[in-house]
Amino acid sequence: MRALGPGSVSSLLKLVLDVIFFALWAALALLLVAALLALLLPSDLAFWGRIEAHGARGAMLSAGLLAFAAYVAVVLFITQRVRRIFTTLTMGDPFHPANVARLRNIGFALAGLELINYGVNLVTGWVFRDEFKTLRFPFNPTAWFAVLVVFVLAEVFREGARLRSEAELTI
Amino acid sequence: MAVRILLDRVLVERRMSLAELADRVGLTIANLTILKSGRARAIRVSTIDSLCRELDCQPGDLLAFEPGPSDDA
Repeated sequence: MRALGPGSVSSLLKLVLDVIFFALWAALALLLVAALLALLLPSDLAFWGRIEAHGARGAMLSAGLLAFAAYVAVVLFITQRVRRIFTTLTMGDPFHPANVARLRNIGFALAGLELINYGVNLVTGWVFRDEFKTLRFPFNPTAWFAVLVVFVLAEVFREGARLRSEAELTI
Repeated sequence: MAVRILLDRVLVERRMSLAELADRVGLTIANLTILKSGRARAIRVSTIDSLCRELDCQPGDLLAFEPGPSDDA
């Protein structure tokens, strides 16, 4: 199977990334609209009874939706960086110096996602302390290992970018 | 860098233009300009071979070492 061009693995991955990217934008827009509606709609509407979760409605539901929107925004940020890295790959220049910063940013964003996860769990655990008897702290070693892998890859790309600049000045 | 490229001097001696040399050795004028201006980080042995062949000179005619501070320091 070819590495680049039509019918290659990269063209399939590009399609998947594009679909994810636009789906995330749509999800983000929907979440922000829903968060706004949750704030603006009167609390005595009948439909609250159908979507009520753990007594959350109005401002509390809006805050929950905004937290989820923040999560989606960070995933969108990561997807956009991956798309840009992918663009350099399809142009035949994967060790572009900008990719080092992109990979580092992805690493920080992944760490940020985990921290958002902890924050949301701590806050919900405190807000709904009567319903959740124990405080949840979802430590995920796999996520932190992924962060480590991305930072290692960033260093690999840094060395690749250095070799690329050397190759450019080799006559 | 302490190593200087003497391509300019050899070209004048041979009354050859950079464009003509580029055409003969199969390098771009841009790459030869990088070499001539001393901005190159490395030179392939095959490049030296082509240059010496077309300019009818020895590698020592193209390179000179002038002691001084290293760029890597």
